[in-house]
Amino acid sequence: MRFTIAREKLQEGLSAVAASVPAKTTLPVLANLLVETTDRGIRLSGTDLDMAVSTELMADVDVQGAITIPAKKLVEIVRELPSAPVKVSASGEQKITLECSRSKFKLLGLPKDEFPSFPSIRFGESWRIRSGDLQKLISHTAFASSTEESRPILNGVLWELRPDQMRMVATNGHRLAKMEIPINATEVPSSDLIIPPKALEQIRRLFPAEEELEVARGDNHLGFRSPFTAVYTRLIEGPYPNYEQVIPKDNDRIALADRNALIQALKRMSVIASDQTHRIRMSFNSGMLKFSVQTPDLGEAQDELPINFEGDSLDIGFNASYLLEILRNLPTDEVRLTFKAPERAATIEPVGWDDTAKYLCLIMPLRLVD
Amino acid sequence: MSRIAVLARTVVDQIAAGEVVERPASVVKELVENSLDAGATTIDIVVDDGGRARIRVADDGSGMERADAVLALARHATSKINVADDLVGVGSFGFRGEALPAIASVSEMDVETASADGAGTAIRVLGGEMGEVRDAARRRGTTITVSRLFFNAPSRQPFLRSARSEWRGISEVVTALALTRRDVRLTVVHDGKQVVALPPAPSLQSRLAGLWGAPFAERLVPVDAVQGAIHVSGLIERPADVGTAGRRLFLTVNGRAIRDHGIVRAAEQAYRSTVPAGARPTLCLDVVVPGDLVDVNVHPMKAEVRFRDRWIVERAVEHAVRHALGGSASAASVGPRAWAYPTSFAAPASVDVEILSPPAPLEEGFLAQPTTDFVTAADSSFVAPTPEVPPLLQLARMYLMFEGEGGVVLIDQHSAHERVLYERFMRTLEQGETPSQRLLFPITLHLGPAEGDAFEAHQELFAKLGFEIEGFGGHTLIVNSVPMPHPRFDAPRCLRETLDALSGDRDAGVATRHERLAATLACKAAIKAGEQLSPGEMRALFVALAATTLPAHDVHGRSTIVQLPWSEIERRFGRS
Repeated sequence: MRFTIAREKLQEGLSAVAASVPAKTTLPVLANLLVETTDRGIRLSGTDLDMAVSTELMADVDVQGAITIPAKKLVEIVRELPSAPVKVSASGEQKITLECSRSKFKLLGLPKDEFPSFPSIRFGESWRIRSGDLQKLISHTAFASSTEESRPILNGVLWELRPDQMRMVATNGHRLAKMEIPINATEVPSSDLIIPPKALEQIRRLFPAEEELEVARGDNHLGFRSPFTAVYTRLIEGPYPNYEQVIPKDNDRIALADRNALIQALKRMSVIASDQTHRIRMSFNSGMLKFSVQTPDLGEAQDELPINFEGDSLDIGFNASYLLEILRNLPTDEVRLTFKAPERAATIEPVGWDDTAKYLCLIMPLRLVD
Repeated sequence: MSRIAVLARTVVDQIAAGEVVERPASVVKELVENSLDAGATTIDIVVDDGGRARIRVADDGSGMERADAVLALARHATSKINVADDLVGVGSFGFRGEALPAIASVSEMDVETASADGAGTAIRVLGGEMGEVRDAARRRGTTITVSRLFFNAPSRQPFLRSARSEWRGISEVVTALALTRRDVRLTVVHDGKQVVALPPAPSLQSRLAGLWGAPFAERLVPVDAVQGAIHVSGLIERPADVGTAGRRLFLTVNGRAIRDHGIVRAAEQAYRSTVPAGARPTLCLDVVVPGDLVDVNVHPMKAEVRFRDRWIVERAVEHAVRHALGGSASAASVGPRAWAYPTSFAAPASVDVEILSPPAPLEEGFLAQPTTDFVTAADSSFVAPTPEVPPLLQLARMYLMFEGEGGVVLIDQHSAHERVLYERFMRTLEQGETPSQRLLFPITLHLGPAEGDAFEAHQELFAKLGFEIEGFGGHTLIVNSVPMPHPRFDAPRCLRETLDALSGDRDAGVATRHERLAATLACKAAIKAGEQLSPGEMRALFVALAATTLPAHDVHGRSTIVQLPWSEIERRFGRS
C-alpha cells in the first residue's frame, strides 16, 4: 500500500474518525485506525464495537492495500507535521512508513484482518434525511437520556420514523424531552429505533447541516451515510416505555416567563441547593414566581420573578439542574410552563418558535417536605 | 442444758471465713489488697497447687509493728476506718478488718512483717490459734504465707476445685491487680514456674502488652472522655478485630475491679453498627465517679458497686466509647503485627494516626462531631467549610487511595459510601422526611410473600425515606417516587434487595428496626465495588465520609479505612 495525501486533508479525516477510537480497550486493534485504499483515495475507519465511523479522503494511490495504524500516535504525528504532502507506505502486514517534507516516521501497525468488520447494512432501502433536521432533533433531546446503567433502554434515544414526521424522545424517568419534525418519507416503512446518544453525538458533529443522509437499518445496527462519511451504531433492543401516556393533557395552571430571567434565578438558587437532589421550591401566584431553597447544614435562599400565571396558586418542588438543562435547550426567549398539581408532571415548551418543529419537555416534581 | 450458746471465737471466724474466703483466689485478693493498702510498689506472689497447698504474698509496703501485727490477726482490727462516717466514700480496698483473721482461721498462716528494714516480727497462726510470736529479720514490708487452706474446715474442702480451676481464679485476680495498679511491679510464680513478671508500666496499653502480648494490645484503641463528673478511660477493641479472638472484659470503677452488666451493655451499645450483631468486643475500661455517686460496699466480695444514678454512668460510657470509635485510630491497620513488636514488652503500638488527615489535617472536632449536634447544625444552617481533600486515586475500581500523615491510606468505596448513607438515612428516619423524586414511569415490583410482609412491616419507614409506594393487591407494589441519595442510585434494584434482606427479620423494637432498615438500605443503595468514580465523586465521598460520626467502620463492622504505615513500607524497602 502506498499513497500521498495533503497533510490538512489527512488531519481533517483523522479528527472525524478519532472520536470513535476507545480510550481504553482490551482488544488492541481497536486502538488502531483502519487505513485502506479506495477508488477515490483512502478510507479511515475506527470503532469501539458499539459504534463505527469511517470517512473517505481524496488521495493519490500508487499501490492498493490496507493496514491498521495506532490512532493516537498517528493523530499526534500528523498534528506536528509541516504543511506538505504526506507519503504513507506499508511494507508487509505491519510496517508503516510516513514521510512529509524532511520528516520520516516508521510505525508498527497491525494486520488489516484483525480489525473488526463493519456491520453489513444494505443502503438500498433507506430513509433520506436532511442532516440539519437530525442535528436539531439530537441537540434538543439527547441530553435527557439516562446515564444510569439500571435501565439500559433509557440510556438510548428513541427515534420514531413515520411517513409524515420523525420524532426523537429521551428520558431518564424523571424528565423527558420530545421533538418532532415533519418529513416526507412515504416510500419506506415506519420504524422505531433506540440509539445510544454517543453515536448521535458523532452524527450531529460529522455531517454538515445541508447534507442529505441515507439512513438504513441492519439486523441490530443502524447506518448513516453521506457521500464520503458513514457512521454505524448498535441499536438498543427492547420496547421503549409508553411516553405518550405520561404526557399530561389536562394541565390547567399555566405560566409564561422569560427564559433567561428564569435561568438566572435558578442558577442563583442552585448555589444553595443540595448537591444530591438539587431541590428548590417554586411558588406560583398570579404575577409572581417565588423561589426558595433550604438545605440543612448549608443555608437558604429566596428569589422572585414577575411572570404571567393563570390558575390556582401552586407550590411545587423541582430538581433545579433538570430545569436548567431543559431551559438551556429551549430555542425561544419566552417559555410556557404548565402544571396540574404538586405531584404531577409539569411541561415546558417554547413560545413563539418560528419553526416547523414541535418541542415539548416534561419534568417530574420532587416531593416537598413541610 | 441450755440450747443456745455463744459461739466460740474460732467458730465465728470460720463462719466469717466462709463469707470472705471462698476459694484460694479470694485469699490472694484479700492479701494483695492489703499489700496495696500498705503502699506496696512490688508484690511477689507464689502459688502452689492452684493455691490449695500454699499461697504466699510478699510486698514492700509499710509493714506492721509487732503489737499491730498481733492485733491485725484479731477480728475487726483495721487501720483503715475509725468511725462509721468513713464508710461513705471509702477509698481503700479493705476496711472491715475481717480478712486476715478469717483466712487465718481456716489455714496455717505465717506472717512476717517489718515496719523498717531489719527488726521484724514473725507470727504463726494455726487454724485461728495464735502461735509463737518471734523476732525475724526482714526488709520493710510484709510476707504472708497461707498453707493448707481449709485444712480444718472439712465442710469446705469438697468445694475446692481442681488446681487448674483454682489457678484460673487466681490469675483473674492477678489480672485485675495488674490492670488496676500498673505502677506496681508484680511477679507471680506458680508451681515453681514464673508466669507473670511485670515491671511498672507507663500506660495501660503496655501493661496489657505485658500481660496478653503485644499483638493483643495493639488491637485496642484508647478511650478517654469526661462527661459531667464522670471520667471514662481505658482501651477498647478496634471493631475490625472484634470476634477474631476471645473477648476479654475488664472493668474498674474508681480503680476497683468490678463486674457490671449495665456498663458493659452501654459500651457494647456504642459499637452498634460497627460490629456484626452478636460480636462482643474486648473492653478494658476505668470509670471514675465521684465518691458520693457510688456505693462500693454492697457485695461481700466487693465485685459489684451500686451507682446512685446508673443511667448517667452508662450514658457517659456509651458516649466515651462511641467517641473513641469515631476517631481514626480505630481504623484497621495493615501488616503483620507480630513482626513489628517482637518482644512482649515492646512499646505500645503507635496506631493512633489521624487516618483521614491528609498532610493538611482535618480538625479532630470535625471528625468527632457527636450525632446529637445535627439538630442544631441544621438550625443554624452555617457550618465549617469543607475539609481539604487530598488527591485521591481509585484502585481496582474498589478503593480510594491517598497519602495520609502516617502512611498510605486506603478507603473501601462501597463500605465508605454505606457508612455515609447509613448515617444520612438514620437522620432522615429520626428527624423527618427526605426529598423524593416523582417518577414518570412508576416501577412495578412483584414480591414474594416474605418480601411483601417485610414491606408492610416497614411501609411507614420507606415513606419517610422517600419511597412513595402503593400496594396493588396481592404482593405487587407500584413505586411512584424514590429518593435520590446519589446520581447512580438504582431504585428498583435497591428496593428489591432491601426487602429481600429484610424478609428474614422477626419483629424488633422501633429503634433497631430503624437501624436495620437504614443499614440494609445503605448497603443496597451504596455504590458498589467495581464502579468507576470520577474525581468529583471521589472527593464528594471523602468529604461525606469525613463528616460521618464513625468514618472508620461500615455498618457491618468491616473497616472502611485501612492504613499502610510508612514504617511498614520502609521495612519492606529495607530502609528501617
